[in-house]
Amino acid sequence: MLEAKKLVKYYTMKEKSGWFARKKQQIKAVNGLDLTIKRGEIVGLLGVNGAGKTTTIKMLSTLLAPTSGTLSIDGIDALQQPEAIKRRINMIAGGERMLYWRLSARENLMYFGRLYGLRGSALKNQCDELIKKVGLAESADRPVERYSKGMKQRLQIARGLINDPDYLFLDEPTLGLDAPVARQLRGMVKDLAKKKNKGILLTSHYLEEVEELCDHVYIIEKGHLLLHDTPTRIIQTIVKDRILLVVMDRLTQEDWTWLRQELDNRGIHTQKNETDEGTQLDMTAPFDLTAQFIALTHQRNFHLLRLESKKPNLEDAIIRLAEERELL
Amino acid sequence: MNLLNVIWAEMKKSHRHNFNNRLMYFSLFVWPVIQFVDSYYAFKPFNLGQDSPLSRFVPVEKLGLFLITGCLAYIFFWSLVQSAWMMGYEREQGTLEIILLTPAPRTLVMFSRAAANLLEAVWLFSIFAVLTILFMGGLHVAHWWLIPIAVVILMLSAIVWGGFLNTIFLFSRDAGFLYTIFEAPMAFFSGVRMPVMAFPLWAKMIAYAFPLTFVLNILRSIVLDGKNLSAIFQPLLELFLILLCLIIASFILVRYAEKHAKETGNLTLF
Amino acid sequence: MWTAFSATFKRQLVTMRRAYPWSFFIGHILDGVYITIFAFLSYHFIFQGELNERFVSYTGTSDYLSYVIMGGVFNSFTVSLLMIVSRMLITEMREGTLEALLLTPSSRLGYFLGAAVQGLMRSGIEWVTIICIGLFFGLNLVSAHLALLIPILAAFCFAIFAQALVLGSFMLAFRDTYITQNTLFVVMMLVSGVSFPPEFLPQWMQCLSRIMPLYYGLDLMRAVMTKAQLSFAILQNLLLLVALGILYFFIGIIFIKQMEKSVFEKHFG
Ligand SMILES: Nc1ncnc2c1ncn2[C@@H]1O[C@H](COP(=O)(O)OP(=O)(O)OP(=O)(O)O)[C@@H](O)[C@H]1O
Ligand SMILES: [Mg+2]
Repeated sequence: MLEAKKLVKYYTMKEKSGWFARKKQQIKAVNGLDLTIKRGEIVGLLGVNGAGKTTTIKMLSTLLAPTSGTLSIDGIDALQQPEAIKRRINMIAGGERMLYWRLSARENLMYFGRLYGLRGSALKNQCDELIKKVGLAESADRPVERYSKGMKQRLQIARGLINDPDYLFLDEPTLGLDAPVARQLRGMVKDLAKKKNKGILLTSHYLEEVEELCDHVYIIEKGHLLLHDTPTRIIQTIVKDRILLVVMDRLTQEDWTWLRQELDNRGIHTQKNETDEGTQLDMTAPFDLTAQFIALTHQRNFHLLRLESKKPNLEDAIIRLAEERELL
Repeated sequence: MNLLNVIWAEMKKSHRHNFNNRLMYFSLFVWPVIQFVDSYYAFKPFNLGQDSPLSRFVPVEKLGLFLITGCLAYIFFWSLVQSAWMMGYEREQGTLEIILLTPAPRTLVMFSRAAANLLEAVWLFSIFAVLTILFMGGLHVAHWWLIPIAVVILMLSAIVWGGFLNTIFLFSRDAGFLYTIFEAPMAFFSGVRMPVMAFPLWAKMIAYAFPLTFVLNILRSIVLDGKNLSAIFQPLLELFLILLCLIIASFILVRYAEKHAKETGNLTLF
Repeated sequence: MWTAFSATFKRQLVTMRRAYPWSFFIGHILDGVYITIFAFLSYHFIFQGELNERFVSYTGTSDYLSYVIMGGVFNSFTVSLLMIVSRMLITEMREGTLEALLLTPSSRLGYFLGAAVQGLMRSGIEWVTIICIGLFFGLNLVSAHLALLIPILAAFCFAIFAQALVLGSFMLAFRDTYITQNTLFVVMMLVSGVSFPPEFLPQWMQCLSRIMPLYYGLDLMRAVMTKAQLSFAILQNLLLLVALGILYFFIGIIFIKQMEKSVFEKHFG
C-alpha cells in the first residue's frame, strides 16, 4: 500500500523584478494532501489546471521532495530510502517528451532497462514482451521521431513498465490521443491493475475515462483535498437530480391537467413541449422517477413513443461542484 | 558490474543519438584540422630561424610536433564538451527526469557518458594526428611501452574531465556560457598552442587550473623529450591529485543538484 | 518594407532588453580577447619581439600587436553580426513562428535589415569592449580618418549582412546552425588575415581569402585605424568589398526565396 500523509509542497519562486533585484514568492502547490493507493486499485486524481496534480505525482515518484509530510510505499519510507522505492515505482506522463527521439523503441527500452540494472537475456525478453504488449512490434526498430503521437504514447507506457513496477503513476496518459487508441490504453491500464495487481494513480481531464476506470477519486483544488470517494457516490452526493425525457401521443387538455397535478404532488418538476411527434415532457426530480411515471401512464393508458432516463455522470458532478464552489 | 552495464547502455545510446549525423565529424575532424593549420601559421610572423627565442622552450624544428600533440590532446577534451551539451537536450526532452527516476547511480551515469562518447569522438582525428606525426618525424621516445601509457593517461583524464563537465552542464540552462568559462580558456592557456613554460606568472596560474596542462606536459615529455617513467613521476602524481579533486567535486555537485531539483522541481542551478 | 523593418527592430530590441544574450556577448568578447592574449604572450614572452622580415614586407608594418588585435576585434565583430542575422529564420523555424511570419505579406528584406540594425547595436557594444581591452595589450590606434572610416564601416557592414543572408539560407537547407556557422568561422579565421597575413598561406588557400568580406574589411580598417599612410589600394579594396557585398546580396536573396519555398515541403513532408 502506498500511503501519503499530509503532503505539502511549496515552491519558492525567485522572480526577476529589474536588473538585479529578485523577488521571492511562495506558491502552495500541494497543501496537506492525504492519499492512499492499494495494490490492484486504480485511483483517480482530479482537479482543474494548476490544482497540483503533477506536483503530487512527482512527489510520489520521488522526483520532488515534499516540503513536509510523509510518504511510505509497502512500509518503506520513501523519503529515507528513495533508491529502494525507485525500483518499485514508475511514472508515465502524457505528451511526446521523455523519450530519445533519435533512438528506436527497442533502443529506448534497452537503455532505460539497463539503468534499472536489467541486463542480458532478461532485459531482451522484457523489451520484446513490452513492445509486443503495446503493439509496436512492427515499428520497434524505427527511430521514435517517425512515430505518431499514439505510438510515442504507447512507447511511454512500455517504458513505464520496464522495471515491472508495483505502483504506476499516470499523468494525463491519454492527452491528445484519438478515441480508439485511448480506449485501448484504458483497457491496458485496467488489466495492469486487475490482472497484474498493480496500484495505479491516474490524472486525466477526460472525466468519462476516470469514471470508467477508477475505484476511488480524489478531487483536489489549489492543493487541498476537496472530496474523496468512489465515482458513483460522488455523483450521487453531488448531482441529486435525475432527468426523464418522454415523448407520448398528444395529450388532451384534461389529461395534461391531471398529469400535471399528479406529478406536482410527487415533487417532480415538469416542462411540456408540443412537437411534431407528439407531446414531449422533461421531468426533473431528486430521485429516480421512472417507475412512478410509468405507473401514472398505466392509470390512463397513455401511449408512450419514447422514454429516456438520463443518468448524471462525473462531468455533471464536477461542473456542479465547481459552480457551488464559485457561489461560496 | 553495474558499472559496465551503465557504460554499455550509454555507449549504445550515444552512438545512435550523437553520432547518427555524419555532420558531427565536421566538428570532430574538419575544424580541428583547420585549427591546427591555423595555429601553425599563427607563428609564421615571428622569427623562426635557428636563433629564434622559441628554442628556449621548444626546438624550432619540433614546432609542428609540439602543435599536433597539443591539438590531439585538446580534441580528447573538447569532444567531451560537445557530448556534455547533449545534457541540455536531455533536460528539455524530459529524459533527464526519467534517468533521475531510475535507481542508477547518478555520478556513474555522468562518467560513463563521457567514457561512452570518447572513442567514437576522437578516432578520426587521432588517425590524422598519428599520420601527421609519422610524416613529420622527429619523435623521441625513451621506451616504446611508454606510448600506450601516455594514451591511457590521456583517455582517463579526458573521461574525468568529461564527467565533470557533464555534471556541470547537467544543471545549467546556458551551456554556451559555461563553455566560455570552462573550455575556451583551456585552449589558450593549457599549452595547446604555446609552451606554458614561457608564460608570465598570472598566465601560468590559469594554466595550472586545467588538467589538460598536466596531461600535455606528460604527453610531450614522453613523445618529444624522451623522458622515462621516473622523470614524469611528479607531474603524474599532480595530475592524479587533480583528477581526484574533479571526481570528488562531481560527486558532490551531482548530489547537491539532485537535492536542489527535488526541492524546486527545476533542474537548473544557475 | 519600413513597417517590417521597424517591427522586427522593435521586437529584437525588446527581446534583447528582456533577456540579454550574455553568453553570446561574453563569448564573442572572449574570442577577441583570447586572440589578443595569444598575440601578447607570443610576442613578448615567447619571441621577445623578434619578427620575421616577411611579416613586415607583407603588411608594411612592424607593429605585430596592433595587427593581430585588430584582427581579433573585427573577427569577433563579424562573427557576431553574421550570427545575429543568419540565425533569424532558422530560429523562427525552431520556435514554430516561421509559418506565421511567412503568412504575412511583409518584406523579407525589411525583416532582415531590422534584425541587422538591431544586431549592430549588440555587435557594436562588443566591438568597443574588445577595442578597449586591446588598448591595454598594445593596440595602437592612430587618429582615424573619419571621412574614410564611415564609408568603410558602412560598406563592411553591408557586405557582412549580405554574407549572412547566404549563410542563413545554408542553415535553412541543412537544418543546422552549429556546424554550418562554425565551419565558416574556422575557415574565415584561417584565410582572412586575422592573426597572420594570408600571404603566408599556399596560393590556393589565398583564393578563399578573396571571397571573405572580412579580408578586405580588415585590410581597410588596419589602413585607416592603425597606419597613418593612405594609398590608392584603399580605394581599390573598398570597391572590391562593395562589389563582393552586392554579389552576396543577390545570391542571398535568391537562395532565401528558394529555401522558403522548400522549407515547408521538407518540414511537413
Ligand atoms: N517548478 C515549479 N516552480 C514553481 N511553481 C511551480 C512549478 N511547477 C508547478 N508550479 C506551480 O504549482 C501549481 C501546481 O502545478 P501542477 O503542475 O501540479 O498542476 P496540475 O494540476 O498538474 O495542472 P495541469 O492540469 O495544468 O497539468 C501551479 O500553480 C504551478 O504554477
Ligand atoms: Mg499537470
